[in-house]
Amino acid sequence: MQFLQALVDGILLGGVYAVISIGLTLVFGVVSIVNFAQGEFLMVGMYVAYFAWRLLGLDPLAGAVLSFMVAFALGVLVQKFLINRVLGAPAVAQIFLTVGLLIVMENLALMLFGSEFRSVQTPYQMTAFSVGPLLLSAPYLLAFCVASVSGFVLWWVLKKTWWGMAVRATAQDPMAARLYGISTQRVHQLAFGLGVGLTALGGGIILPYLTASPTVGSQFSVLMFTAVVLGGLGSVMGAVVGGIAVGVIQSLSSLFLPMQLQNLVLFAVFILVLAFRPEGLLKKAGS
Amino acid sequence: MTRQTLKWLLPLLLALAVPWAFEDQGYGIRVLTLVLLFAAMGQAWNIVGGLANQISLGHAAFFGLGAYTSTLLLMRWGISPWIGMIAAMGVAAVAGGLLSLPTMRLRGHYFALATLAFGEVMRAIANTWASVTGGPVGISVPFSEGSLALMQFKSSMPYYYLMLGAVVVTSLIFWLISRSRLGYRLRAVKANPQAAEVIGVNTALTRIQASVISAALMGACGTLYAQFIFFFDPDTVFSLVGISVKVALVCIIGGVGTVAGPLLGALVMIPLEELFNEWLSGRTAGASQLAYGVILIAIILIEPRGLSVLWFRVRDMLKGNHA
Repeated sequence: MQFLQALVDGILLGGVYAVISIGLTLVFGVVSIVNFAQGEFLMVGMYVAYFAWRLLGLDPLAGAVLSFMVAFALGVLVQKFLINRVLGAPAVAQIFLTVGLLIVMENLALMLFGSEFRSVQTPYQMTAFSVGPLLLSAPYLLAFCVASVSGFVLWWVLKKTWWGMAVRATAQDPMAARLYGISTQRVHQLAFGLGVGLTALGGGIILPYLTASPTVGSQFSVLMFTAVVLGGLGSVMGAVVGGIAVGVIQSLSSLFLPMQLQNLVLFAVFILVLAFRPEGLLKKAGS
Repeated sequence: MTRQTLKWLLPLLLALAVPWAFEDQGYGIRVLTLVLLFAAMGQAWNIVGGLANQISLGHAAFFGLGAYTSTLLLMRWGISPWIGMIAAMGVAAVAGGLLSLPTMRLRGHYFALATLAFGEVMRAIANTWASVTGGPVGISVPFSEGSLALMQFKSSMPYYYLMLGAVVVTSLIFWLISRSRLGYRLRAVKANPQAAEVIGVNTALTRIQASVISAALMGACGTLYAQFIFFFDPDTVFSLVGISVKVALVCIIGGVGTVAGPLLGALVMIPLEELFNEWLSGRTAGASQLAYGVILIAIILIEPRGLSVLWFRVRDMLKGNHA
């Protein structure tokens, strides 16, 4: 029973991880860069949702839309003025540019908001629904629902709109996309904006059950990278499966390990997958 | 005496003489001591990052293991840090060997990711396992009234020479490796692993050897740091930005894969960072780290092909002016 409850909790957690990880994988798939500062955009999303709640009285689930918009705008600028300039550069330069961004964002947050932990109060925070013998915590369930909806919206945008097709075309073959008159520069900006925006949205919707702090992003880094590597870097479907898998692994390991050591299990999974199947457990099925 | 030996002897003599120009126990000599410590760590990173071009973002793991190993031995059983340092090197070497088993086939971003995760997990373990490490509260090294046997000194000068020794030893090891068979095997593996395998290089063994040596040297530096600083916690010694990134950066700024690189890099980076701390410490927390991040980004944007190129460009320019 305990096992089943942990499994359900894991799936609910994992749905949110999936949305956060889609952002990371989208950036990699289209722009071909591993963004080490992705977790810091999640942190930005948490703070935007927090202030939207405190100053405007907005529920974090609605505030997450603002988180998306702010991070999207930030992402477009970052892509345009920073990432774009190291696209052809060696891995060292790419790695240290996004690591530099991580340092800047984390410390900017520390300067602006201080080091204290900030949390919101919502009417549903303590609520849980019982379904048979299982308990579904309301904040988990609501976050899962919003995550699913936003994942679906992204899928629709990528599948059905012209810009979505341009993004997919660029991911598959940038040269051919350019020949068809697609501005790959624009597509890169769009993809980076969407990617970090989605992760920031994830930051907003977890606010009802987690606290915001300047260093919260680094807690999510191992988790996010594990999800993405599990599913194959660059694969959106893979990130969904990987995200849910990470949620379940984390939740099941909480049955017999202290909270902080759950990352140890994730790390073991991460290293094993990287070592034996760096292309991901799923075969990469386009994006 | 050849020009080559003179080129190394002069800076060494200068380094030996420098502390006498500073006020003992002063701020200046402490900064210089840190410069030397980071130069030694950069040299250790250089073995993996420079010769094999494996960008490790997890060297803090070995550094932290070294700091904890010797300090715990001292606290629990009163074992001298000189012996503790050897134990620290052993523990770090084992960790380096274990980590290299699953990561040796990874390159570029993947290797960076895996090593980063390793460092972060070490930090999580140290924070959680409070019964051994003291947890997030940190550890204070018990202070005696200064004793060579306990690697503890009342004035700053002995620490300076201790770190200078570390720099000389790590530089010598790096230099020897770069000219040895291992060095050539590492370069072959860096250039083309498949081709190296074909001509009979055992690429797996080569990478494990480099990783073990590099990790052991980091472990020794961890011990030195603990004895110099007297207080540390998991978030400092296992810090991604404060140790892993900074150590790599010291190398990259000075020139990757060269003996002089980490020395020059540390000589630029560490005082610069201290200056920022000085200027901005009165402001809000994070200001100096922020400036450090901005400089990092700026340097990469100025010379995106690889930061060492910038150094060579400046050097060529200076040479051109002299000729």
